[in-house]
Amino acid sequence: MLSRSPFLHFLTLLLFKQKSKHLGIMSISVVMIALVSAVLFISSSLQQTLQDTLDEQADFTVTRIEAGRPVSTPLAWADRIIEIEGVSQVAPRIHGRYFYAPREESFLVVGIDFFDEQGSKALESLVKGIDLKQFFAEESMIVGEGVKAFLQKHYYKDTFSFKTPRGQFKKVKIYEVLPGSLNLLANDMIIMPIGLAREIFGLKEDEVTDITFNVPNDAEWDNVIGKLHLVDYEIRVVEKREVEKAYENLYNYKGGIFLILYIIALLTLMLILYQRYAMVYSHERKEIGILRAVGWSIRDILKLKFYETMILVMSSFVIGTVAAYGYVFVLGAPILIEIFLGGANLENQVQMIPEVSFGTLGSLFLLYAVPFFAAVLIPSWRVAVIPPKEAMR
Amino acid sequence: MNEILLSSEVIVYLLSEALLYLLLFIAAIATLGILKGWNFDRFTKRQFDLENRSYLVMSIIFFVLGLKMLLLPYFAYTIDALSLLVPGAMCAAGVIDANDYGSPLLLLKIIILFLSGLWLGINRLDLEEKHYPYMKLKSWFYLLLFILLSAEIVLDILYFTHIETTNPVSCCSVIFGEIGGNSLPLGLDIPKLLILFYLLYALLVLIVFTGHYLVRIAASLFFAMIAYYSVVYFFGTYIYELPTHRCPFCMMQAEYRYIGYLLWGLLFTGTFLAIESAVMEGIFGRDALKLKKISIGFLTLFVLLCSSYVGLYYLKNGVLL
Repeated sequence: MLSRSPFLHFLTLLLFKQKSKHLGIMSISVVMIALVSAVLFISSSLQQTLQDTLDEQADFTVTRIEAGRPVSTPLAWADRIIEIEGVSQVAPRIHGRYFYAPREESFLVVGIDFFDEQGSKALESLVKGIDLKQFFAEESMIVGEGVKAFLQKHYYKDTFSFKTPRGQFKKVKIYEVLPGSLNLLANDMIIMPIGLAREIFGLKEDEVTDITFNVPNDAEWDNVIGKLHLVDYEIRVVEKREVEKAYENLYNYKGGIFLILYIIALLTLMLILYQRYAMVYSHERKEIGILRAVGWSIRDILKLKFYETMILVMSSFVIGTVAAYGYVFVLGAPILIEIFLGGANLENQVQMIPEVSFGTLGSLFLLYAVPFFAAVLIPSWRVAVIPPKEAMR
Repeated sequence: MNEILLSSEVIVYLLSEALLYLLLFIAAIATLGILKGWNFDRFTKRQFDLENRSYLVMSIIFFVLGLKMLLLPYFAYTIDALSLLVPGAMCAAGVIDANDYGSPLLLLKIIILFLSGLWLGINRLDLEEKHYPYMKLKSWFYLLLFILLSAEIVLDILYFTHIETTNPVSCCSVIFGEIGGNSLPLGLDIPKLLILFYLLYALLVLIVFTGHYLVRIAASLFFAMIAYYSVVYFFGTYIYELPTHRCPFCMMQAEYRYIGYLLWGLLFTGTFLAIESAVMEGIFGRDALKLKKISIGFLTLFVLLCSSYVGLYYLKNGVLL
């Protein structure tokens, strides 16, 4: 096929003959494209994981605030919320950060009612899979992978002792470990019966920290919010939409700051490309002169240079993105992932779900190809228009 | 800091546009020089320099136009991706209406793509001749284009810096739906719109091989407009399989297999080529049989694609919406 078109044949011959000329540029480009692809892949993969996790969460969470200060929510609200039309799966929860002073780490303790319906689908399926008889035979909890690893390290093999505000110790058995796919949100999570959590945080019998519920018909969401505010004037409603947006912003922010800084690197690459090709092409003057002398027009030379650049861009793009894919989704993106997870608390191990959309690839291609072509355009024009007589002198 | 400007799509988009504008600016300056000193009959060094310079202008515009063709769908994709951040927006329709710059920007982009396509056509004619007969014409044309392109980049920046993430915007069903009080232009209703749609298509096929250039241009533009309304108000509802969902943007999302890009792409290219062929034949007296064939091919594909959604829906469900 290639040999049938003399132009393409010539082009490939030229590229292979002058490999060393392009090798330097190729390797820099591959590194550049691999770096930025890795960051975008991580960011979109985490966003996807988060979206999947959030899809399983309850639609609404209500808490009570006193002049902006969060206080415990009366359990009686649950009964009033359930009366609102269109609301289902009302579930009171107790949750809070349990601070483990010796290591300055904290766990997210979530207390739920195991005998009731759960607002969150993830919890619902979790509760269904538990043998309640065994679970309640003694005080038990379900922990995230990060918590499990942390407790193992500190010699809490099967049980952990919580300190309650009353100054007592509460020994709780580790019943099960949460699946690793939930790690992004549930790494430092501990799930336990609501009564136990109440004791650990020292809440009264008729108090919870918040109440979650679902409204299956999302056209009703705004109506429900209006009605909720009639329940009590101290009510604060958090919608899933807001949480989604906040997370989206968080990862956009991290990826965005990276990209903005990366632009500087990209401009430097452009400068290098410009200079490098200005130099390379000036060595090629003679060659171009010969081509012009045997009848090639300026357009043909420009076409040759365009295809040459195109092949370089495409091949380094493919190599770079494939390398980044391997680095992120096969190796799990060591080092770079820390930017996104920020391991201030328990060490987190997140499984990257392979998620590469056309949009991400399109973004990467534009981000890389536009500066590349723009930098090479003027040097190639310059060499193409040199009069053949002058070039061969 | 504005969250919109941190979204990676927006950064990539604005960077690309800025770089391309830089190149276009260089081309504009070169064009001014050409306009000032161009005289083909002279054998001075200056004239040769200018001829060389015209190749720079040509390569820049060729390159930029190629990328602008990619950037228009990318723009649609970008604002679609932003719909997560803008409250109330469910697709690009809401985001484009988030401020007053959005709709003019989109319109301007389409006009620019149209005009730059024409520029390339003239450029091709110019290079076929030995004396560059259209050099002055295409230079002035480019300067006009450059003014539009400058307006575009200004609008780009204004648009993306003025999207509020706190004020809710309307979703597409409000903008295009019955609630918004929006109805079809010229007092049309759906049956009349469809009759017009197919009649105009038939008219285009019939007259494209005749010599009525002005009629052909007018018919193509009118068909494009009617086709837009037909897709939004009728064919779109079959793509979404929902009689109340009217939106030109949602069909570009993954749920509808990105069919919108193909659909609008076919309509745009088909109309453009129809008009270009009329211009080539009418103004420059060239033979444009190939262009005409391709344009009719694209428009036929477009009509078939639209109609097939209705047909398949009827076959599957036994009723129409």
